[in-house]
Amino acid sequence: MQKSNLLHQVQCRSQIFCIRFNAEVKSFCIRFIGKGDFMHALFKDKKTIFLLVFPGLLVFLYAVFLPIVLSGYFGMTEWSGIGKPVFIGLENFKNLIFNDSTFITSLRNSLVLGLALICIQHPLCLGAAIMIDKIGGKLEKVFRAIFFIPCVISVIVTSKMWVQIYDSQYGLLNKILDMFHLGFLKQEWLANPKLVLGSLFVIIMWQGFGWGMLIYYAGIKGISEDVYEAAQIDGAGAAQVFKSITFPLLKPVIKINITLAMISAFKQMEVIYLTTNGGPGNASQFIANYLYIKAFNSYQYGYGNAISILFVIVCIFVTIILNKIIKKDVIEY
Amino acid sequence: MIKLKKLLCISLTCVVLTGLIGCGKSETVTKSTDINIKFFSNLPDRATGQGKLEQTLIDSYIKDNPNVKVTVEALQDAPYKQKFTTYAASNGIPDLFMVWGQPSFLAPIMKNGYVAELNANDFKDYGFLNGSLDGFSTNGKLYGLPRNTDFMVLYYNKALFEKYGVKLPTTYEDIVEAAKTFRKNDISPIAINGKDKYTMSLMYQDLLLKESGDQKLMPAALKDTTKFTTDPLFAKAAEDVKALTDVKGFQDSFVTADYGAANNLFAQGKAAMYYMGSWEVGMDLNKDFSDEFKKNVDVIKFPAPSTGKGKDTDLVAWNGGGYAVSANSKVKDESIKLLKYMMKPENWAKLGWQSGAVVPAQKYDQYLTGKESNLQKKLTEILSTSTSISGVAWDDALTPDFKTNSENLSQEFFAGFKTPKQFLEEAAKAAENAAENVNK
Repeated sequence: MQKSNLLHQVQCRSQIFCIRFNAEVKSFCIRFIGKGDFMHALFKDKKTIFLLVFPGLLVFLYAVFLPIVLSGYFGMTEWSGIGKPVFIGLENFKNLIFNDSTFITSLRNSLVLGLALICIQHPLCLGAAIMIDKIGGKLEKVFRAIFFIPCVISVIVTSKMWVQIYDSQYGLLNKILDMFHLGFLKQEWLANPKLVLGSLFVIIMWQGFGWGMLIYYAGIKGISEDVYEAAQIDGAGAAQVFKSITFPLLKPVIKINITLAMISAFKQMEVIYLTTNGGPGNASQFIANYLYIKAFNSYQYGYGNAISILFVIVCIFVTIILNKIIKKDVIEY
Repeated sequence: MIKLKKLLCISLTCVVLTGLIGCGKSETVTKSTDINIKFFSNLPDRATGQGKLEQTLIDSYIKDNPNVKVTVEALQDAPYKQKFTTYAASNGIPDLFMVWGQPSFLAPIMKNGYVAELNANDFKDYGFLNGSLDGFSTNGKLYGLPRNTDFMVLYYNKALFEKYGVKLPTTYEDIVEAAKTFRKNDISPIAINGKDKYTMSLMYQDLLLKESGDQKLMPAALKDTTKFTTDPLFAKAAEDVKALTDVKGFQDSFVTADYGAANNLFAQGKAAMYYMGSWEVGMDLNKDFSDEFKKNVDVIKFPAPSTGKGKDTDLVAWNGGGYAVSANSKVKDESIKLLKYMMKPENWAKLGWQSGAVVPAQKYDQYLTGKESNLQKKLTEILSTSTSISGVAWDDALTPDFKTNSENLSQEFFAGFKTPKQFLEEAAKAAENAAENVNK
């Protein structure tokens, strides 16, 4: 359950590490060798390129590419996980797209979640990041930590906590509504098929809030103070500063965050599994969870693999579209 | 400069190598004379109940046979099933393992030859109840042994019935009436684990049984699926469910309640009744529950509707959990020996019954001590006076996918998202699809 979250963390960390490592190597070379020639020669040498790329490529082939190919093969079989797989061609994919309403529901839910993350969570993240940056001093650190706490706590703990909060009999939420004489607003938060998606979105947004905010915050910290000072001298207001400086300069960060949001929406599994498991019925079913149910509860590994292949295709497709929408207009200054 | 290049190369190689070395696996060395039995269980709690019983028997076997080592791996049901299929796919099934004696779990395993055949004659004197070995056999060959008998009953809280002047239900209509009264008083009428889904499938079968009085009706419908929509008894049982859900007969948000939540609601005295299986036999001995609750908890047969042709002594009962031995085990004979030892009547049945952990699948009346708890006595009575027994429940009778689909449907139906008609139509369709797959 933790896996995808962990993966996400590892990805982020490794990205940060790569950036740092590159910078270190560069500065090391410049400081001690003094000449760009050496590095140039070194990186031009095919053997070096091979040596540097090969380990990573090997890991990629073994851990990413091979499983996808295998998945593609198993997706074309009927296999219960026990016994031998029977090859049935594209039957599973046909069934998935044309006969499986649950798959379509879960795909739609994943897309809606992605949109909700982009349209609701991320503006809030950005706002919070700007506010924290403005506060400054000790409070800045305090708020930064507070907002990040949900990301540090295990997903199991927070999900179970939210299940308790939403409980219609003992739950904190309904109790609070009672306290303020708003009893008529009380709901079966996770049992009502009309509300369950909304309730789950709140949990997911709350949990992912810290990550989104942190990346925006880092982006904002990366914008030079000089630019702001210049704007201040020119007499720009807060709104104008945001519109003409912060927002355009944050575009690369926003782009990354939106892509991450979309991917995390598609990968969403742990919160769903731990709260409703797709219920009631299939009202809150999401692709990753549906895949799991098909493979591990229904023992339809072939079908589960077919879902995972479509899942990969949809993810790639969405990423391409997103990249098209947010063009690469990185501003240099 | 060349030196530096070399240095870079070497250091990079080192980094890669250390990374790869980290992937290595350490293996423990065992003496070749030792017999090491890998035991795979679905009872992770080794300190209470069935898990403790299992561990106690393993420990005493090891004590008698010092050359035998038993390595226990235990996981909860869902991860157990998941890991089991992984083991099966990689041909590494542990030597002795827990199985569910239901086609939805065991059939593909038996069919593909993963389990060792047991000699049925060896177990003649073990006192297994009539029909309890059926789910563990195929084509007249025995592949596993059941460890307990499960049947659905209605637990209730005496104090709450007295407090609100509700009479103990003798018919299904009484339950609906009782539900209305409890609702008025802010008490949840029936606690049920709706998130786990299977209880609702079972309750539907229970009602169908009590409407029809015919244990063969459901198995027949799974073969001839038109029965779901044409036989009026199916619709009647579905209407019974609707009558109860219409008066909010289950706790609020019951579709989100897992086993723990439902059990807790009932044990906290917030729900008057609790529809669950006989495996709750230890409830009035459980240290975690209040004395007041333990004094007040009681159990009855699930009542039949007044117009129903069935009796409340017709039970939805089956032999679920049990054990089997891997066909490819290197220590097959030793594993069968251990299995035989564990399932000896004076071991599993006696110790299990007397510790209040199980209702065994073996005859256990010779082990009654007279000191049984109230629930133990009542459940024994319900089982011994039963007039018919269902065997494998309908959701478990076909494929694993049918289990998922039928239970999902039951949940949607109980939650009111599907009308009785939709429920039956879709159940028929699911059964039809599953039958096709079974025949493949």
